[in-house]
Amino acid sequence: MTEPRIESDLMRISWGPQHPMSGQTRILLDTDGEKVHRIIADLGFTHRGIEKVLENRTILGGIIPVDRMAMVDTANISIGYVTAAEKALGIEVPERAHWIRSLVCEMSRINSHLYAFGLQAEATGYFPAVFIWTTVDREVLLDLFEELTGARWSFNHFLPGGVHKDFPEGFNEKIIEAVHYLRNRFKDYWTAMVENPMFEMRCDDVAILEPKDALRLGATGPTLRGSGISIDMRDEEPYAAYADLDWEIITEDACDVMARTKVRFHEIGQSLNMMEQIAKEIPEGEIKTRFSPFARAPEGEHISRVENGRGEMSTHIWTNGTTNPYRVKILPPSLRNMYVFERLAELSHITVADIPVVINSIDPWYLDADR
Amino acid sequence: MENETEIKRTLDNIPGSGAAYSLIDFIDGWSRKYSIWPIHLVTGCCSPEFMQVSGARFDMERLGILPFASVRQCDCIMVVGVVSRKMADRVKYLYEQMGEPKYVVAVGACPTGKGPFYDSYSVVAIDEYVPVDVYIPGCPPRPEAIIHGMMELQEMIRKGRRLGVRKD
Amino acid sequence: MSEKISLSDFITSFNENHGEIVESVEIFEDTRASIKAKKRNVVKAARVLRDEYGFVIPIGGGAIDYPEEKKMEMNYYLNNPDSDFIIVYRVELSRRRPTLPSLTEVWEAMSFHERETHEMFGITFKDHPNLVPLLLPPDWKGGYPLRKDFKGEGVKK
Repeated sequence: MTEPRIESDLMRISWGPQHPMSGQTRILLDTDGEKVHRIIADLGFTHRGIEKVLENRTILGGIIPVDRMAMVDTANISIGYVTAAEKALGIEVPERAHWIRSLVCEMSRINSHLYAFGLQAEATGYFPAVFIWTTVDREVLLDLFEELTGARWSFNHFLPGGVHKDFPEGFNEKIIEAVHYLRNRFKDYWTAMVENPMFEMRCDDVAILEPKDALRLGATGPTLRGSGISIDMRDEEPYAAYADLDWEIITEDACDVMARTKVRFHEIGQSLNMMEQIAKEIPEGEIKTRFSPFARAPEGEHISRVENGRGEMSTHIWTNGTTNPYRVKILPPSLRNMYVFERLAELSHITVADIPVVINSIDPWYLDADR
Repeated sequence: MENETEIKRTLDNIPGSGAAYSLIDFIDGWSRKYSIWPIHLVTGCCSPEFMQVSGARFDMERLGILPFASVRQCDCIMVVGVVSRKMADRVKYLYEQMGEPKYVVAVGACPTGKGPFYDSYSVVAIDEYVPVDVYIPGCPPRPEAIIHGMMELQEMIRKGRRLGVRKD
Repeated sequence: MSEKISLSDFITSFNENHGEIVESVEIFEDTRASIKAKKRNVVKAARVLRDEYGFVIPIGGGAIDYPEEKKMEMNYYLNNPDSDFIIVYRVELSRRRPTLPSLTEVWEAMSFHERETHEMFGITFKDHPNLVPLLLPPDWKGGYPLRKDFKGEGVKK
């Protein structure tokens, strides 16, 4: 990208793709001493051209690149594409498959929020230990995924018409054991991170995002709910089994970094409650509706909206009567949140030392911003 | 290369130098293989698996592998995940900035041969840009497979290197 | 805040008050409205949607290419915190030299989406503050990847 010209009394720091805290992106900071005047994001380091690749696959074969779009949070992206494909093909999904999909989505959401905590703790500079705790807790969830689906990260479990595999013997009890273990661990995380005076000093009143700015700039996910606005796709357009489960939307009013961290904490609590409900109340039945792998979808266009760990993700699919889709447009949450991050330097006072803390409170995953 | 031949000539004139030579080789290979420091660079979606391998259950650091931030003090690049065109130029700059001896490990199916994105306009296989020593297949490879690949690299270092200069 | 607007009320109200500045307003799924704009009134109708009906949240934007019908279509996706439906706001463009006035003066956050559409399809947005490539590498040698007649021209070597 051609970079904008720099003003004469500012210094430009290039925080590049090879850095322990930057992720797969390059961010330019125009600074004057400690204060950051301007942030410019240089995306595109993980651009794979998924929208063009999906035009060359059948509708069923498209679940493979889509699962690898954001490996930390696989299920919540996969369900967006699969729901849109089901609308295009006109297939009904049995009841038990909806409950299994909700379970896998909530486990993925916990995985993704744990990753955000680990990076947040490491960014505040004094807790690489908490990052290693999160890898241990993720192993509990990855063992459950492996028993259910056969793979740890990119499991391709959802297909149009249902899910691929059913629960093995004794799986419901294992889910409840894992929920109890994780609930105890989260008490430790709360004490270490949220009730810690050093963490409060670094995170309170930093990077305040007012509600009207959050709406105007297109923020989504915990970034939006940390400013007091309650919008969640699982409530606006209930998909899978969310209409039958008992949960609530979490919002906080303080609008700063600490509020967004607390939103993620409480969302994990809600996810654990939902996992327990599903393990106890899941109905019996079929798990998939069969259809031909080379099915032709009639002509039309369909949109599906789901809630990712980072916000709202929409998939718009156009079909024209052949086995491949005509065009797939994916609207990712991290691209919207990166625009908010660019404007935060003008909306509030940010110093150079605050930048890793702020960017991890917005929690972008560049693989789904670049597609 | 010239240092090696000169040292060889002076050492060969001393009786019993063959034993000293192989002892230096042994210590050199042993110390280098147990402290491979890769650069802290993740290029694509296999990065969660890389983090789990450096985590607490499959601990990579007990083999001496520590991801490190400063490029001049590292001796390995682990290319973890999909490499797009923009990122491949950066991997080449980093490879040229490291000092000898240096190794490259391609982790995953994507840097080996483009993986599930084989017909994309923006994905490359990394051996068009830098020479690769070990390929670890999988999508993503299991942590046991990554550790096995690093142990293969350790065997290569122990057997095939003489006094620090890459033989090719 | 107020109670939620429903889709049918919105369509009747819009057709009564502003029916002549757009080409058509229709429902295309249960909770999605599709508004086709006239090219010369694109910015004016956008302002009406934002100010009178409260569609302040910019979800995103993308385009689609129809080479047989010799046209392209640019879509913007909009949301309202008080409604239970979204709007897909569409404009048709010719395929030979597609240009459109930029909607960043109405919704600022469409900036990233318009940059991406510019490099993938070749649509020029007039009055965009910073129309440089977002995702492709800086030495891309031409060719618009998401058009249907892309043959791999930008790939070097």
